[in-house]
Parts: sequence; structure tokens; C-alpha cells
Amino acid sequence: MTGRRSGRPLVPAYLSTGGVARPRHTELERLSLLTGGAGPAPDGLPAARHALYDVLDGGTLTLVEAAALLELPVSAVRVLAAELAEQGLVSLRPPVPPAALPASDLLKRVADGLRALKQ
Amino acid sequence: MIEITVPAAAGLSAGTLLALVLGGFLLRSRRDRSGLREEIACLRERLDDTRAKAARASDDLIAEIAHLTEKRIPAVATRAAHPHAQVPGPLSSDFARTRPGAGLEGVLDGLLGVMTKERKRVDAAARAGMRGTTREIQAGLYRLQDVLRGLQQQYDEPELAQTLFELDHENEQSLRRAQVAAVVCGAWVGLAREESHLVDAVTGGQSRLVGYHRVRVNNHLESGTALVSHAVEPVAIIVAELLDNALRHSSRDSDVTVNLERAHHGVAVTIDDAGVGMSADERAYAQRMVASSEPILLSDLGDPPRMGLAAIGQLTRQFDLSVDLSTPSPYGGVRAVLLVDNHLLSHVDPVVRPPAAAAPRSTREADTPEPPVRQETRGKLPVRTGGSARTRKVTGSPAFTAAEILTRTNFSRVEDSYPETVPDPGTAPDDDLPQRRRRHARPGAEAAVPAARPVPEQAPPPARTPEDSAAALGALQTGTAAARSSAEPEGNDPR
Repeated sequence: MTGRRSGRPLVPAYLSTGGVARPRHTELERLSLLTGGAGPAPDGLPAARHALYDVLDGGTLTLVEAAALLELPVSAVRVLAAELAEQGLVSLRPPVPPAALPASDLLKRVADGLRALKQ
Repeated sequence: MIEITVPAAAGLSAGTLLALVLGGFLLRSRRDRSGLREEIACLRERLDDTRAKAARASDDLIAEIAHLTEKRIPAVATRAAHPHAQVPGPLSSDFARTRPGAGLEGVLDGLLGVMTKERKRVDAAARAGMRGTTREIQAGLYRLQDVLRGLQQQYDEPELAQTLFELDHENEQSLRRAQVAAVVCGAWVGLAREESHLVDAVTGGQSRLVGYHRVRVNNHLESGTALVSHAVEPVAIIVAELLDNALRHSSRDSDVTVNLERAHHGVAVTIDDAGVGMSADERAYAQRMVASSEPILLSDLGDPPRMGLAAIGQLTRQFDLSVDLSTPSPYGGVRAVLLVDNHLLSHVDPVVRPPAAAAPRSTREADTPEPPVRQETRGKLPVRTGGSARTRKVTGSPAFTAAEILTRTNFSRVEDSYPETVPDPGTAPDDDLPQRRRRHARPGAEAAVPAARPVPEQAPPPARTPEDSAAALGALQTGTAAARSSAEPEGNDPR
């Protein structure tokens, strides 16, 4: 990935949350779904929250995916998400239960089909 | 009878004559003796005089030597360390003009020379020793940092994460101190970084301080303004030390403002605090430390040593940066200006490599009306990432229309919280599985704000007009609202 920075990050993760790692929503899990609000972020939003809002981009991502995109630890993104949710800018949903997920062989068949489509 | 008288008379006259002659001689000798006595007395007097003078001169010399050992030599010793210390002159002002006086002055000059030389030698030895130690400490702290960051990635249990954050911050502070000591001792900054956004370097410097909450960074630079690799760490160190100075000299409830602005010759990083300010003396000292061309001696830094300004001075000399502390801040405190010259600046594509999430975004983007920015960004995107193999973005295909978006939204409403796996038929390579991405994204929007880490190389170019986008957005909002109202998601909304 060309976008990844190699080497040591200049800005440590704690700066993104102001050193806080205890979110108000403790029920947020790694696979909890974050759905961003539509429209541009309001003015005066702290930089890291703004970044999370932008990365959600009105769509839905799991917490861990957002963390990967922001290159932040999950613990920091959890705090950011909880803060955004409190402001009403992001809605939170519990993770998709495993039982409701399509079977992996079905997904594989779909993937194969898509590949076939491309060829 | 006559015969007897003549000889008697002759004898008598002869006797008288003899007596006269002898009397004359006697008189003369008496006169001579009294003259001699006078001369002797005179000589004795002069001898006494001279003796007294010699004794006085010797007393004076002894007094001068005593004065030299008791007062003047210690004063010269003090002067070797403190150039402003006064060395007292000889006891009598005439003494310096005498030969012994000139000799003693020579002694003092020689002593001062030898002491200065010795002091530099001892200082160099101390610096070498400290350099070795701090370098090892620094390396150890970097290893510790790696471990802490690894743990942060691995564990997200809130209590543990909180502790890890605190440890990381403590570690950053120790690292800063070790690094500054190493730099003052003439070592290299100890870390090679790659070309980085200037705002990242400033934010990185901010994170190394206890009071980082009080620092407000206003980024007025064009996004993508970056530092060449060898200037990144020095700028971070200088900003950290200047901020430390500002935080130290201002009250806990006031902010320290950092402004990043373009100047004609480069970029100016202005740090203002609203503290008590520095006295003229302190300011002159600080300015001397940060801008003097003289090498810094450890023994000049006081106890406890004030390393920060000395480190700034060292770095500005090494890296051709300039720092000015000579003007008071309009907020009443101190204004520090770091000027990064153009030759130390470069450009990093903010879309390909966005600045850190915690780095304040540029105010220039906010000032620009949004649609033109998006349009422009979108116009650029295809050129750069057109052939990208990353196809994670759902709406990556330029062929998608608002209607399709709407369909997609409906689809996700039906499937509710099912993950959506939609490949980009245009660019998906054979061996790449379609990957999950946000379910309905506004295409290209994230590219408009580069600080948002949009991972753009994964986003194939959407080529759409603003009208299309507006329609898609509208559709998306309608769809989302419809989905929310009609279908309760599985589980409850955690809010």
C-alpha cells in the first residue's frame, strides 16, 4: 500500500483523543458498525473526529475498519466514535451476529461468479 | 750674652713657626673631619631613606601578591565561566605600570587562557560521555515505544488502553529529554524520518509535552506542505522545545497558539503564549542561546541545566533553520518564530499520504467553497489512480449513477445489516476478491478533504458531475431514511 507510511509515526495515537481511552459507550465492539451522517462535518470539530467523520463519508464501516483507515488503534477510534455519536453525527449499531452472515461457501461462489463475469 | 740671645731667638721663632704650621694643619684636619662627618650623616640618612623605601616597596608588592591570590585569581577563575564577572585591578593604580605589576598582569592573562582551554576540554569530555549515554537511552526508549504501540494495536480493552496511552505519553516525554540532551552534547537527532507533512512534525512535537492539551494549532498552509526527510525530526524537536518554553511561562488555563503560515522564504511557525513574558535580560539570553554561532558549553547551562534553548541553538546551526525570540507576543507573553526555509520544504501528496488523523487540517480547504474542490480533486483522481488494483470501494466505478446508488441503498435495506460485497467490475484484478467497504459512499467526497486519510489508491476514479453527485447524495439520504423508518435493525441501536 503506497498510502501507508513506513517507519515510526510522528503523531502518537493518544493525541487523537486527548489521552482518553475510556469511551462512554463501553458496548462498542471491534465489529460494531458506525454509520456516518450525511453532509459536511460541522465547523470546529476536533481534527481526529473530523477525520473519522470523513472516513465514514456517510457510509458504514466497522470500528476496526475505520481504525485501519485512520491508522489509529481501535481503542482510540472507539473513543472518537462514542464522541461523534454523542454529537449525533454518527450512529452506532452492534456487530452483525455471526448467524446472520451468509455462508462462506456462498460468498466464495459469488466471488467466483464475479471473476467469471470479468473474464 | 748676645751669643745666647741669637740662637734662643732663632729657636723661638722656629718653634713659633712650627707651632703655627702645626696649628694650621690641625685646623685643616679638624675642618676636614667635620666635613666627612657631615657627609657620613647625610649618607646615613639617605641609606635609611632608601631602606625605608625598599621596605615599603616590598610591603606593597607583598600586599599586591596577597591581593592577587586572594581576590584577583579567584575573580579570573570566575570569569572563565562567567564572562561578565569583573576582575578587580591592583591595589594601587600605579602598580600596574611598574615591572612587577606588568609581570603579575601577565600571570593573570596566562591563567585565564589556560583555564578557558581546560574548561573546554573538560566540557568536551563531559559531552562525549553524556552523548554516549543518552544515545543508548534514546535507542532503548524507541524500542519501548515500539512495544507500547504494538500493544496499543493489539489490545483495546479500555482500561488497558488508557494505561498504554499514559505510558506512551510518559515515554514520549522521556524520549524528548534524552534526545534534547543528546543534541546539546553534539549528537545527531537520533532518528531518520521520511519526508513528512509539516503539520505532522508540529503535532508530533506537541505530543511530547505534558501540557499538550493547551496547545492550539492553526494550520494555514496549503495541504501537502511537507518537510524534507532530514528536517522532520529537528523541526519536531524545535517546536516541542519552543512549546515547552511557552507552556512553562504561561498559566495553566491559557492556551498556547501555534500558527503555520506561508512566508516568502518558506514557512513560519509562530508560537504565541499569553503568559508573563520574559524580561529583557531573559529574552536576550534566550535569543543568544538560540541564535548564537558560538558552540554551547554544558557548564553554561546552569543547574538544573536548561537544555531546551541550547538544543534549539544547536539544531538551527546544523540545519539552517532560524528561530527568533526577540519580539514580545501581542498576547503579552513570548512570541517564538521558527522559519523553515524553502530548501527544507517539499511536497507530499495529501491524498496518497494524508497527514495524521490528529493533525489539524488546513484552514485553506475550509475557506475554499467545497464543490470546486471536489470537482478538481475528482478531475485529478483518474490520472493518478486510474489503473489501481485496489477495488475496495463500493461506488468506485465511474459508471454508477444516482439511480444505481438508490438501488443499492434499497438492496441494503432489504438485506439490512448484511455486509455488502460489490466488486468494481472495471478494475478488479483476477486474484483479488471483492472487498467490503462502506455501504453507500459519496464518491470522491473523501478526496476533497485530504486530511481524512481516504486511502485513495483504493478508490478508482468516479467521474461524475456535481449534479450527479447531488442526485446520488439525495438518493442516498432518502434511501437511508427510508431504511431506518421501515426496518428495525437487528439488535438495538446502541444509542
